[in-house]
Amino acid sequence: MKKYIIAIGLFVPTILFGQIDRSVRPEAAPAPTINIKDSKVFTTENGITVILSENHKIPRVSYNLVMGSDPMLEREKTGLADIAGTLVMSGTDNRTKDVLDSEIDNIGATLTADNNSIYMSSLTKHSNKGLTLMADVLMNANFPQGEVDRIITQNESNLTSTKSDPGSMASNAEAVANFPKGHPYGEIMTPKTLANIDRNSIVEYYKRMYSPKGSYLVVVGDITLEETKKMVETYFGKWTGQDPDKADWGTGKFNNGNRVLFVEKPGAVQSVVYVSFPMAITPSHPDYLKLKVLNNIMGAGGFASRLMQNLREDKAYTYGCYSRMNVTEDGSWLSAGGNFRNEVTDSAITQILLELDKIVDDYVTDKELDLAKSSMAGSFGRSLERPSTIARFALSIIRYDLPKDYYQTYLKQLEGITKQDLLDVAQKYWTGSNCNIVVVGNDEVVPTLGKFDTDGTIERLDAFGNEKIEKVPSDLTADEILANYLSAVIPNIQAKKSKKLAKKRTKFFETITSMEVVVEMTSPQIPFPITTKEVWVSPNINAQMTEGRGMTFSSSYSDGITGQQQAMGVGKSELSSEEIAAANKSIGIIPELNYATSGMKYEVVGIETFNKIECYVLKLDDGKSVLFEYFNRETFMKVGTMSIETQGEETQEATSTYSNYVEVEGIMFPSVINISTGQANLEGKVVSRTINGEIDLAPYKQ
Amino acid sequence: MKYILLSGLCSIMAFSGNSQREIEYLEYDLDNGIHVILHEEHATPIVAVSVLYHVGSKNEQTDRTGFAHFFEHLLFEGSTNIERGEYSELVEENGGALNANTSQDRTFYYEILPSNQLELGIWLESERMLHANVDIKGIETQRKVVKEEKRQRVDNQPYASFITEMFSRMFKKHPYNWVPIGSMEHLDAAQEEDYVNFYRTFYVPSNATLSIAGDINIEETKAWIDKYFSSIPKGEAINLFRDVENLTAEEFVAKYKIDKSSFDLMNFNAQTDANAKELVKKYSAMEIDIPRPKKADEQLSGVVKDVVYDNIQLPALFMGYRFPDQTHPDFHALEMMNDVLSGGASSRINKNLVEKQQIAQFAFSFAYGLEDAGVGIFAAIAAQGKDLDSVQMAFDAQIDMIKNELISEAEFEKIRNQYENQFVSTNSTIAGIAESLADNHVYAGGAEKINTELSEYLAVTREDIQRVAKKYLTQDARIILHYLPMEENPDNK
Repeated sequence: MKKYIIAIGLFVPTILFGQIDRSVRPEAAPAPTINIKDSKVFTTENGITVILSENHKIPRVSYNLVMGSDPMLEREKTGLADIAGTLVMSGTDNRTKDVLDSEIDNIGATLTADNNSIYMSSLTKHSNKGLTLMADVLMNANFPQGEVDRIITQNESNLTSTKSDPGSMASNAEAVANFPKGHPYGEIMTPKTLANIDRNSIVEYYKRMYSPKGSYLVVVGDITLEETKKMVETYFGKWTGQDPDKADWGTGKFNNGNRVLFVEKPGAVQSVVYVSFPMAITPSHPDYLKLKVLNNIMGAGGFASRLMQNLREDKAYTYGCYSRMNVTEDGSWLSAGGNFRNEVTDSAITQILLELDKIVDDYVTDKELDLAKSSMAGSFGRSLERPSTIARFALSIIRYDLPKDYYQTYLKQLEGITKQDLLDVAQKYWTGSNCNIVVVGNDEVVPTLGKFDTDGTIERLDAFGNEKIEKVPSDLTADEILANYLSAVIPNIQAKKSKKLAKKRTKFFETITSMEVVVEMTSPQIPFPITTKEVWVSPNINAQMTEGRGMTFSSSYSDGITGQQQAMGVGKSELSSEEIAAANKSIGIIPELNYATSGMKYEVVGIETFNKIECYVLKLDDGKSVLFEYFNRETFMKVGTMSIETQGEETQEATSTYSNYVEVEGIMFPSVINISTGQANLEGKVVSRTINGEIDLAPYKQ
Repeated sequence: MKYILLSGLCSIMAFSGNSQREIEYLEYDLDNGIHVILHEEHATPIVAVSVLYHVGSKNEQTDRTGFAHFFEHLLFEGSTNIERGEYSELVEENGGALNANTSQDRTFYYEILPSNQLELGIWLESERMLHANVDIKGIETQRKVVKEEKRQRVDNQPYASFITEMFSRMFKKHPYNWVPIGSMEHLDAAQEEDYVNFYRTFYVPSNATLSIAGDINIEETKAWIDKYFSSIPKGEAINLFRDVENLTAEEFVAKYKIDKSSFDLMNFNAQTDANAKELVKKYSAMEIDIPRPKKADEQLSGVVKDVVYDNIQLPALFMGYRFPDQTHPDFHALEMMNDVLSGGASSRINKNLVEKQQIAQFAFSFAYGLEDAGVGIFAAIAAQGKDLDSVQMAFDAQIDMIKNELISEAEFEKIRNQYENQFVSTNSTIAGIAESLADNHVYAGGAEKINTELSEYLAVTREDIQRVAKKYLTQDARIILHYLPMEENPDNK
């Protein structure tokens, strides 16, 4: 046969090709093994386990140093590790933050740190400089008070916005449901625990956590064993510290039956649902890989996964429904869910539980298994190009005592997983009947949830996973609260009789025809200052504008009858008559003066704590959005508001806090206004508040 | 004599200290003209399969602009053996990732796959080359997609038209006159036949470079390339093949005077029917003439000043200089000059115009190197209340300085560090290597450039940088564009 082809080849000088049927798709070759070289391991005198993964492909070396301590209970200072981690790179005894940043840039290196690790990567030839900087941060971080204050304030804002962020609230509820109080994962930072964190405790944390004893240094890249030993001795040889903290925290809180935990988010049109349970699995356990395949089929494999196909494609309950596994040495859990419209919240939970039951009861299909394996093999393969992946693997092998060739044979292990394996692990670790069902949403969905709870009692939690304290009923009516507030902010006009007081006030306010307020705002999420301007001109003109970097981001103008608004990237639009009608309900220099007559719906909700202050809470509804106003129970000053605006299937929340009241023309106004939304926390200072000044309305009408 | 030796020594030391590693590869041509480059490395069990077609917007007709980029979209629509929408699915289901991009000079497609799926990748790209679905259904779908892309990336982005405005003034004769996104009117006006002709002209083996890198076995890879790519007919025979597949029996007979059933598509290059064999032979010998423009020789003869009104709030200044093409010996020095001016936060333009003088919100410059010509662009958005003339003065002061004074040793060192970093990053992934090899083969005179390019950068001296600044930053021949807010357009009032 071969001869024959050669003979023909002689006659036909153009190259001859065999027959090819292009409609036949190529089959995959056997799964490849991975050429990760064995790492070399040695221990230093001061207690660092050094893991070297030599790879001279690129002239770059990375050093990842992970501390040896287990997570510890933080109790009244919960949040300390996070705060300390954020601050490690804030400067050292030898270098300010700016100097540190610029020295890193000059050699094109990367240097990052968090609460228990520090990472440096640079070209091989800049290793000395890079390690000098790394060692400096490692041993001499000095946590300047100014930076500490800045980060604490930033976290205060974050916590304020937690109350309007359903995702964070659901995670908090899930954590306390899966883990008991005495487990580090069951601890949640609250404004109260944050207030207990100061520079001393941060420095103490750093000194305790950042210690060579029991730490792992993973070196990956263009460096030999001899060079590594020399480098480690030179830069980390003098590093000292205490013995690592070790603890066994157990595996979590297992339920007997399903448990429903509800967190109220007033005004929500969607619920966040997490169906969750702890799993007694660690990263070093052989079942872990099988669980990953199982979870890929369930809800981590993107579009083709069961949750997505059922709840999005088939039922259209949501844009996305996923399942996530968190697996650590100190505790592991599964979380399945997504965002669902109020009216389908219970149906969505039914389907998620059904899918859990199904996967625990029955084999997955061959097709599902194949798809999960190939997509996992693919992303595993591509991830290996990143040196950080290799570093992570080298560390896992040592730390979790995995077989030396665990990652080399990963694809073969993956290939070998069967349907039976998946059913076995599903039955061993998963459940559809002993779950924590966390729902964050509108009170109106609560009646539909009782059927999921085995004992029929729904537990209510607050934003931080604490048992929700029932609202204290108010001892004053809404009108009494408003009257007290007005007396507090207009202190100079007093009268015994209410009629006389009203007359005096009317006369006073007749003299006020306009007000312009300029607030300068800064935000950790926005790299430049923002200025907001708001004007009111008697009787019904209201206009606003937000500017920054010389650009106008948004503006609006309404004269009480018509109006317009524009926003960068969105464009200009006329205000609808509903929008103007809503705005007219809270117009004026002190909108509360007119609630009784403007058509604003208002009612008293009760007494609640807002930013550690006991407050009367009023709920307002202008037909377009809902607003909660918080009045200090002692002084009756307004200390904050929370607004909820509904846009289609989404709601947008903003929490504002008011403080540092000052008198302007006989009226008390706040001079500090902070606003937090899901996207950003803004800290605002009132730079001017002008009453009866000249006002140019033209810029607002652009 | 001694002096020369010393300076030579310095550059030798510089070379020996650089972080370049040799990248090994193998290259050969298939009989049908496809250039193949293979780079074997087993560090990671993945492969990158890429095909570079030497066609970009500069190969388009003046009344059919946007075609090259349009094809980048169209060619994901499947082939004779791949259903519509299935192309990406096949890659993703098999653990891969894929993408493509288009410039003035090239269209580049690639897949990154687990190495046991290499054959799949080779088959997919061969299907795209041989007989992709170029039909009205796909054209209509992709027209919508491309229009949406233009709306998002150009029309709705303030200042985004500056490249179009700059190139249309810089090149009056050369097709760099327009940019890859092209004209939506042209795409609408074009008929199915225009699209088919574009495919028949540019998507042919002799215009393609197949570059594969990663965890491959060379012999096995060559065998698959032979199976799927060598079987693609040579010269005009590829279009004969396409006609056998796409034309009706009547159309085919009318065109070729032979029945299309005479052809064996599974063994196209070795037909058994004598007439078919003869025709394949004849068409294989007919080379496809790929239209390419000549290198741009037009120069600016003076200062061109213009105003563009855009949907913006702050005025902006864009200045353009004519640079040589990307392979010109001066181009590396121009790129390094540009980095002194604009490479990162600590560069001259940012430090002076933005931070110190606060005359601009954003300011930067870049060296735009292309196959037939280059362009140097300076751009700044004025700070609130600053006028564009003062921005221009600030730019001109920087330009004067780099022309009149050598850059400092420290700046020089930082730039060289940046280059090395950048170079190492590009070649740290197999997809990056596959792309660099193909690019260097087509545009830089040979794939080997991948191993010599860093040395070329490091051989550039401070004096070279000053020399090219003087030569190309011609203040008496440049384009100056003022971007002003729409409201200021006198025609609007």
